[in-house]
Amino acid sequence: MSVLTDEMRSVAEQIVAKYPNRRSAALPLLFLVQSVEGHVTDSGMRDVADILGLTPAEVLATGSFYTMLKKKPQGEYLISVCRNISCTHLGAHKVFDAAREKLGIEPGGTTPDGRFSLEAAECLATCDGAPSMQINYEDFYKVTPSEVVEIIDSLAAGKDVKSVAGETVRPAKDIAFETATAGLDLPHETADTRERLVGGESPPSDMAPGHRPVVPGIDAPPAEGGGS
Amino acid sequence: MIDETYMVLKRAREFPKDSWTLKRALDDGAYDNLKKAVTEISQADLIELVKNAGLRGKGGAGFPTGMKWSFVPKDVFPKYVVINHDEGEPGTFKDREIAERDPHQMIEGIAIAAYAVGANKAFIYCRGEFALGSRRMDRAIKEAYEKGFLGKGIFGSKFDLDIVLHRGAGAYICGEESALLDSLEGFRGQPRLKPPFPAIKGLYGQPTVVNNTETVSTLPHIVANGVDWFKGFGTEKSPGTKVFSVSGHVERPGNYEVAYGTTLDQLLDLAGGMKDGKTLKAIIPGGASAPLLTHADYALDFDSLKEAGTMLGSGAVVYMDETTCMVRNALVTTEFFAHESCGKCTPCREGTSWAVKVLRRVESGEGRQEDMDLLLDIANGMDGRSFCPLGDAASWALRSNVKLFREEFEAHVREGRCTFDGEHKELVGARSGIDTGISQQGDEGLGGEDRLS
Ligand SMILES: Cc1cc2nc3c(=O)[nH]c(=O)nc-3n(C[C@H](O)[C@H](O)[C@H](O)COP(=O)(O)O)c2cc1C
Ligand code: SF4
Ligand code: FES
Repeated sequence: MSVLTDEMRSVAEQIVAKYPNRRSAALPLLFLVQSVEGHVTDSGMRDVADILGLTPAEVLATGSFYTMLKKKPQGEYLISVCRNISCTHLGAHKVFDAAREKLGIEPGGTTPDGRFSLEAAECLATCDGAPSMQINYEDFYKVTPSEVVEIIDSLAAGKDVKSVAGETVRPAKDIAFETATAGLDLPHETADTRERLVGGESPPSDMAPGHRPVVPGIDAPPAEGGGS
Repeated sequence: MIDETYMVLKRAREFPKDSWTLKRALDDGAYDNLKKAVTEISQADLIELVKNAGLRGKGGAGFPTGMKWSFVPKDVFPKYVVINHDEGEPGTFKDREIAERDPHQMIEGIAIAAYAVGANKAFIYCRGEFALGSRRMDRAIKEAYEKGFLGKGIFGSKFDLDIVLHRGAGAYICGEESALLDSLEGFRGQPRLKPPFPAIKGLYGQPTVVNNTETVSTLPHIVANGVDWFKGFGTEKSPGTKVFSVSGHVERPGNYEVAYGTTLDQLLDLAGGMKDGKTLKAIIPGGASAPLLTHADYALDFDSLKEAGTMLGSGAVVYMDETTCMVRNALVTTEFFAHESCGKCTPCREGTSWAVKVLRRVESGEGRQEDMDLLLDIANGMDGRSFCPLGDAASWALRSNVKLFREEFEAHVREGRCTFDGEHKELVGARSGIDTGISQQGDEGLGGEDRLS
C-alpha cells in the first residue's frame, strides 16, 4: 500500500532533483513519509525504496540510524528536553520532572490521546539558554517547571505558543514537511550545464557513492541512483 | 576587562533586530567581497591569500583552510564544497547563531570558498534540529539567487554556483566530515577510512572541501581587509578571532567573539563572571570532547591548550562551579558519547556503554573502589584504538574527569550516595532505553512490531 500520493511523489521528485545522485534524497524522503504518517512506517519506507531504486532494507538501514526519524507513532507535539552537560548542571531534571508529571509519560513515550511526546535530547546547541528545550524543533530558553506546564496547557487548548525567537510552534507533521522540503524552489541546474572555469575530465554520468568504488568485474555497475 | 573583537558576529551585534535580512545585509556591504573575489582575484591568488592569512578551521580540528583548499586537484570535475553546519559538540552554539543571524555572510563565504577551489555546487549540511536556521538560510539562498549572487555567471564572471540546502536527521557523528558525506549520500552516517581525504575523494568520490560555517563566514573579512589586517588579531599560529560559546555556571552565557590568545579568565569576565559569585571548579575548554581544566589561567589558542593537555576544539567553553558533581558530569558526558557512537568499531561502541554502566553504578552509590581503575582501563582501551576521533574523545573526557576528581568518585563509593544534591537521579534515568542498557545511534531500530517483512 502506497502512502505517498501522486502529489507527494511529485514533491519527492523535486527533492531528488536537488542532488546529483538519487540516493542522497533518502533523508528528506523519509521526512516526507513522516509528514504524512507521523512516523516512518514500513509502507512509507517501501515507497522511498521504490522512488530511489533501492531495496527496502537499504532504506531501513539508513532510516534507523537517525533520531529525528521516528520509529513509533508520535504525538502532535514533541517536547525535547536537553539532558546534556550545561543543561544538566543548570537543572534540566526539574524541567523533565514537570513535563513527566504533567503528561504522565516517561521520556520516549506519547500520551494516549496522541497529542504529546516527550524525549531526552542531546545538546540542542542552545546551551546559552540552559536548561533548554525544543517543541517540534522550536527553541525555548531558561525553561522553568511552571513554564513547561503552562506551555503544555496552551498547546492542549489549541492556543498559539511562540518560541524564544518568536516562531509559532507548529504541528509535528508540518515541521516534518518543512524539513523534507528545505531549499526546494531553487534553480538547481547550473552545475550540470555549467561553463567550466578551467578544462578537466567530465563527470561520470551517474556517480557511485564516494567510498564504494565500483570494481570492474566484481561489482555490477551502479544501479540507478548509485546504490551500494 | 577586555572588549570583544567583532568580525564574524559584527553584523549580528550591530544590527540585532534585522541582521539576517537581505536589505540590512546589503546596506552593510554584503556580497561586495564576493564581487571583489570573482572579478579581481584569481583562484590561485585567493587560495594563496587565505593560506597567508593563516586562517584555521573552526569546526574542531583547526586545520589551515588555505592548505586544505590547495590539496584539491585542479583538473578533476565536478568538485564540491560542503559546509558543515551540523554543530553537535555539546556546549557549542556558535554556528547556529551565525547562520540564524547572518545567513548572507555565510552564503557569501561559501561562494568565495567555492570560487577558490573551482566548485560549482555547494551543499550546506544543516543539523536537522535547526528549524529556524534552516528557514533563514533557505530564504537567504533564494534572495541571493534572485539578486544574481548565486546561479550562473556571478557578477558577470564565468563562475557559476548552486547551493543545496540539506537537512540532517539527528546524529552527532554526522559532524565528522566523512560520516557527513556518507549521510549526504543517503547512508548511515559512519566515518570513512582516511586517506583518501575528502579533498581528493569526497562526496560521490569527487574532490570535496568540507568547511565549517564559522570558517567560511570569516572569508569575506579576509578578502575585504587582507592578510596583515587579519594577522593583527590573535597569536602567530592562531591568527584572527574566534566565536566562543560560553555556558554553564556563568552570569551571561552566550557567544563571545574575541581574538585567539584571550585567556579563559578574560572570557569568563566577558560572560559576567561565575553565577551568583560561586567558585570555579572545572572548565571544559573546547566542547565535551576536550579534557577538563581546573583553572582559568590559560590562553585560548590552539597551541596553548594543546600544551595544557586539552584542546580548543569547537570553542565551546563550559564553566562549572563548586556545586557541580563531577561524577554526574562524567556520566552525562559518557552517556552522550555512548548514545552517539555510530557502532562501527568495537572499542568505542563497547567501551562507551561499559563505561556508562560503571558510572551509573558509582553515581547511584553502588560502586566499588576498583571502579575508578576500571574506568581508566576502559578509557585506555578506546584511546588511539578507535576508528574515528569520537572514541578517542570519549576516552579523554572520561579519563580527565576520573583523574582530576578521583576523590569525588571515591567519596560516592565510600558513602554509598551522591555527595552533592542527589536530586538528579531522575535525570539519569531520563534517556529512553535506559533499563536495557544504553541505546546507541540507530539502536532504537525501526522494527519491533513495525518490522519490514
Ligand atoms: C565526532 C566529530 C564531530 C564533529 N562535529 C563537527 C561539527 O558539528 N561541525 C564542524 O564544523 N565540524 C565537526 N567536526 C570536525 C569535522 O570533521 C571537520 O574537521 C570540519 O568540519 C572541517 O571544517 P573546518 O576545517 O572549516 O574546521 C567533528 C569531528 C568529529 C571527529
Ligand atoms: S570511534 Fe565510535 S563513532 Fe567513530 S567509528 Fe568507531 S564506533 Fe563510530
Ligand atoms: S547542553 Fe543543553 S543545549 Fe547544550
